[in-house]
Amino acid sequence: MKRTLSAVFCALTLATPALAEYPEKPIEIIVGYSAGGGTDVMARTVAKFLEEAIGGSVVVKNMPGAGGQIGFTEVAKAAPDGYTLGTFNLPAALALTKDRDADYTVSSYTYLANFVEDPNTIVVAAKSPFETLGQLLDAAKADAGAITVGLSSLGGNDHFAANMMAEAAGAEFTLVPFKGASMARTALMGGHVAAGTMTLGQTTNFPDELRVLAVLGDERSPFAPDVPTAKELGFDVTMSSLRGIVAPAGLEVDVAEKLRAALDAVNANEAFQTTMAEQGNPMSFALGADFEAVAQAQDAVAARIWETTPWK
Amino acid sequence: MYTDLLHALPNVFALANFAAVIIGVIAGIVVGAMPGLSATMAISVLVPFTFGLEPLVALGLMAGIYNGAMYGGAIPAVLLRIPGTPAAVATTFDGYPMAQKGQGGFALQVAVVSSSLGGIASAFALMLLAPPLSKVTLLFGPSEVFWVAVFGLCSIIFLLGGSVIKGLISACFGVFVSVVGSDPIYGNDRFTFSQLELLDGISIVILLVGLYALPPVIDLLEKPLKTGVDDNKLGTESLWKALPRMKGFWKTWLRGSLIGIWIGILPGAGGSMAAFMSYNEARRSSKTPDTWGEGEPEGVAAAEVANNADTASALIPALTLGIPGTAVAAVMLGGLLVHGLQPGPMLFRDNSDIVFGFMWQFLFGAILLVLLGGSLATNSFAKLLNLPRPLLGAIIIVLMVIGVYSIHGRMFDVYLMLGFGAVGWVMDKLKFPLPPVVLGLILGAFAEENLRLALRIGRGDWAVLFQNTTSLVLVALTVGVIVVPLVKSRLAKARQAEGQA
Repeated sequence: MKRTLSAVFCALTLATPALAEYPEKPIEIIVGYSAGGGTDVMARTVAKFLEEAIGGSVVVKNMPGAGGQIGFTEVAKAAPDGYTLGTFNLPAALALTKDRDADYTVSSYTYLANFVEDPNTIVVAAKSPFETLGQLLDAAKADAGAITVGLSSLGGNDHFAANMMAEAAGAEFTLVPFKGASMARTALMGGHVAAGTMTLGQTTNFPDELRVLAVLGDERSPFAPDVPTAKELGFDVTMSSLRGIVAPAGLEVDVAEKLRAALDAVNANEAFQTTMAEQGNPMSFALGADFEAVAQAQDAVAARIWETTPWK
Repeated sequence: MYTDLLHALPNVFALANFAAVIIGVIAGIVVGAMPGLSATMAISVLVPFTFGLEPLVALGLMAGIYNGAMYGGAIPAVLLRIPGTPAAVATTFDGYPMAQKGQGGFALQVAVVSSSLGGIASAFALMLLAPPLSKVTLLFGPSEVFWVAVFGLCSIIFLLGGSVIKGLISACFGVFVSVVGSDPIYGNDRFTFSQLELLDGISIVILLVGLYALPPVIDLLEKPLKTGVDDNKLGTESLWKALPRMKGFWKTWLRGSLIGIWIGILPGAGGSMAAFMSYNEARRSSKTPDTWGEGEPEGVAAAEVANNADTASALIPALTLGIPGTAVAAVMLGGLLVHGLQPGPMLFRDNSDIVFGFMWQFLFGAILLVLLGGSLATNSFAKLLNLPRPLLGAIIIVLMVIGVYSIHGRMFDVYLMLGFGAVGWVMDKLKFPLPPVVLGLILGAFAEENLRLALRIGRGDWAVLFQNTTSLVLVALTVGVIVVPLVKSRLAKARQAEGQA
């Protein structure tokens, strides 16, 4: 009896912060990658504008390691009190739940808002003999596995993009997973692999060295208006790298609403949009339920690819 | 390409950036002067503290420390016959006898001028060679990088001197450490014991701090060694008066610089080997080889010019190929990566200000060495040897723990570092060389990853490793590194046998 009472008491005291005016202490955004990377820069930009929108201080904390898993796990396990948020990378975060024992799933989070969506591409070196996507795929079909495709890793959007492209075209690629996008890019430029599937954002600084054959987005990107989408070319393949903000599952409804409203205000802020554009971030804002639907869809893609062609 | 070099210059003279080099040089000399505390250790202990700084401040500190420590090692080498850093062993041969004759001050002056000249030559080599070489790096795909790594491992094992077997065992330990974590292709866990902290593998800084810093610290606390120096061994006169006596050394300086630069570029070997080679070559071409080892100033010059000439050039493979050839280069490369600088062909285009600024800092670090170490303070630095050793040890342990903790903000890394420290201490006692462990960790990971990538590209056909000229040249070099020392030792034995007969 005594124990139940104290448990109730504990629950009550724990619940009080949410009832009081939120936020009454600094909000922490956990980033599963090291400082200076794309996700970290996004988190810091969002944090800066969120402080204004929510009227409290917002701190970014880097917890790099295990391909982001350490950070994702930390957020999933944190108290759902609105003081621990995290960056969420799709499909990477959910791909990790397929190929290893992760302590979280797609339903471990309260989805707040997605900000960035960087579409994958099919890209070759500027001096490559392949001028169009059709030529590349013909070569891949003529000799299964003859076309080597450099990826930033297995179990990420690069990998899924290559898999989905091969499947849609009935071709077969030899996948070469490098350690990170920049290594894959250097190998592509040096002619050590025939093609790549890195995101558009990772190609934009190299117009003289790379030739983007197709963008795997729903529509053409404003960053590369001359490049056709795979859809236009007859292959229904879309894949991208998404970055947003989540909280642990079970976040109080009013806190969640307050955070979503604040993040919506951040997105509406012109200065924020300018900063994000300067950093070369293609934006695709999705709030709450929309964001969750995207995550569910990405989870299904990752699960399907893991089932048909497990990568380890 | 070289105009960017000049564009980077003004920024180097910004107050904070220049102050960083000055502080780095002084700190480097201090650390290098402590027996047992090497440049590798100084940089690896300090590097986590620089992550939060502006890039040029952080890199300036590292450049200064590296230059300073390579000279600082000469101070106890000359005065006490205890090399401050492994690279200063060759300095003891003639430096200590000179001090015994009351010429310690002159020996230190020769050392500082030679160190500075070696550093300047090396900085120029880095400036002139790295940008064009970075264009060539596109030639290096997985199979070529694999051979570079194999070459580096072979050269550290076979050229280090001492027992090849012990070198091999050390290197194997390093390669084993590189295996811990998720495998580079599929991400399967290896030896992680379900610890998420191990999934990314073991950070080079943790290993370095443990291996290189803990054993000497234990040593500091263990031995109540009295290291005081009496002034009459120094026999100091002003540097400007001493300079004319060195004018005959220019051939040795030139030769030593070239040897140091060349050894630096090759992955694997490092400062100590450069110093030995330079010393031997200088002695061989001397008119009076018999006076060497009994206080020949030219011997000090030969050793010191070479061990500083490999500092900046060791960064050439690190900046161009992303393959650090020495432990210090690996730590510096880590520093560059933290500041968002990716080695490779694009480095000089995308971040030219910082990279070229860093090279200038190396050059100024080397020049400052003569001013700070030579004319002002050689005497005061020698006094360092009087510091109470337990105090020093305690300070270093605190720095080690804070530094390692701050890399990822977790105690796990600190325990790991202490574990490596224990291993390092045992290896030290059993006279196992430490550099192969570090290179085993760095190059082992490169070798594995790139071998597997190459085989994937070649669709499982091992012939892919021998398919182009770059690979074949690297294979030839690797074979050379293994065979030449074996043949040499055979010949030497045969000659000895003849002499006896």
